[in-house]
Amino acid sequence: MKNLHELIMFQINLLEGLEKERSKMAGASEVVEADNAEAIIAMIETKSQKIESLLKHYKHIEALKTALDDSPPKTLDERCKSANWIVVHKVIMAIRDIDGMLNALGAEYYDILMKYLYRGLSTGDESTCDQCLMIHEKLTERAGLGCILRCLSDTTNTV
Amino acid sequence: MTGTRKLQPLIYFEEIVHLGNLALRFMLYVWSLEAGEWVPTLVILRLNRAALCVQWSPKENKFAVGSGAKTVCICYYEQENNWWVSKLIRKRHESSVTSVAWHPNNILLATTSTDGKCRVFSTFIKGVDTKDSKAASPAETKFGEQILQLDLSYSWAFGVKWSPTGNTLAYVGHSSMIYFVDDVGPSPLAQSVAFRDLPLRDVLFISEKMVIGVGYDSNPMVFASDDTGIWSFIRYIGEKKAASSNSSYSSQFSEAFGKFYGSQSKSATANDASESRGGVHDNCINSIVSLSKAGSPKVMRFSTSGLDGKIAIWDLENMEQELGNQV
Repeated sequence: MKNLHELIMFQINLLEGLEKERSKMAGASEVVEADNAEAIIAMIETKSQKIESLLKHYKHIEALKTALDDSPPKTLDERCKSANWIVVHKVIMAIRDIDGMLNALGAEYYDILMKYLYRGLSTGDESTCDQCLMIHEKLTERAGLGCILRCLSDTTNTV
Repeated sequence: MTGTRKLQPLIYFEEIVHLGNLALRFMLYVWSLEAGEWVPTLVILRLNRAALCVQWSPKENKFAVGSGAKTVCICYYEQENNWWVSKLIRKRHESSVTSVAWHPNNILLATTSTDGKCRVFSTFIKGVDTKDSKAASPAETKFGEQILQLDLSYSWAFGVKWSPTGNTLAYVGHSSMIYFVDDVGPSPLAQSVAFRDLPLRDVLFISEKMVIGVGYDSNPMVFASDDTGIWSFIRYIGEKKAASSNSSYSSQFSEAFGKFYGSQSKSATANDASESRGGVHDNCINSIVSLSKAGSPKVMRFSTSGLDGKIAIWDLENMEQELGNQV
């Protein structure tokens, strides 16, 4: 690969491809999922308020766990995924002590966090990408390449 | 061997001295040793896509071929016409069949596919197999009947194998996961084990409770089940993984990571020395084959072959202590 730029563009293209697939699928089953989606979005809103208060009290680790819990990968509805992403994004941007955070976060959260990191990287927004890259580096050290593999190869449970 | 393109690994049996070998041009030859010379017999597989994997059955009277045509061919020898006949399992697979494995009872066949699923079929053929009156359910005596489908993996599945008694099934997924299914049957017990590093391509049971996996990390991995039946990763064979994460990546990786993280990373630059992994294989290990006598409950010797073109023979005799006497 020529350089960093190419590497990132490759990943963004990969993720955009995944997004397109997902939105195709989402269109098909939107009608069926409508009720469920409303319930999920309501749940995400309550989560969001809880997280706001946790962040105010500097309880970042709790906030992240709450945000990542019950992530709705099984639903195809784009709105649910976006809603949850906004919540997770808020917490990710608020994190300052990455090592401490990863220390306290259990291994069961690694895979889902990695998926959100890639979503963050795909936004292309500079501050988001910077933060996501920093966390990505530390997370890869801990969780290994297998974590990245699981994130990239899983096209059914996307965030 | 003119007229063949890329060859897949050979399967070799000492007792019956037949060989199966595949060419990716949809043909298969069975080699017999006659009067000291190897003589090939062409088997018409009726495939329109490449054959991807082949395995002799435990009794060596049948063999199974998985193909890119989403089918599995089961071939048996017809004495009257002196040729090999193939029967196809056409149903069920939604994508290429990457690997096949025979249950010790010579009838059940497990398959993995790039649709992510592992399936178990019956390959009962009248005239070749005998009905085992005490065991078999009606499904098990119908050719091509699917007994079980496992949806554990979200990505491509490879490398399925049965344990020596046929009680447990293991296969790997491309998402750096390995799946173990105990008590295969109406109420199986499935476990998904995620591991740190690059995905595996093939596995081998070296005993009822221990499995060796090989794959993109070029170093065989040992998995074992403890007394409570929980499977987990134990260690790498050969060079032990260093504790520090820096030396666990080859120089190629650290260079890429260095570029990825750019100026933000300080740790990447510390690992400049170009170190090869120091292991036996330099590239992905594609397959692992037992060298112990077929049907023996413990495997002490096996061979691995990889994309680096090397074939390595591993001997576990001296490693028994290190493997924790679990073998």
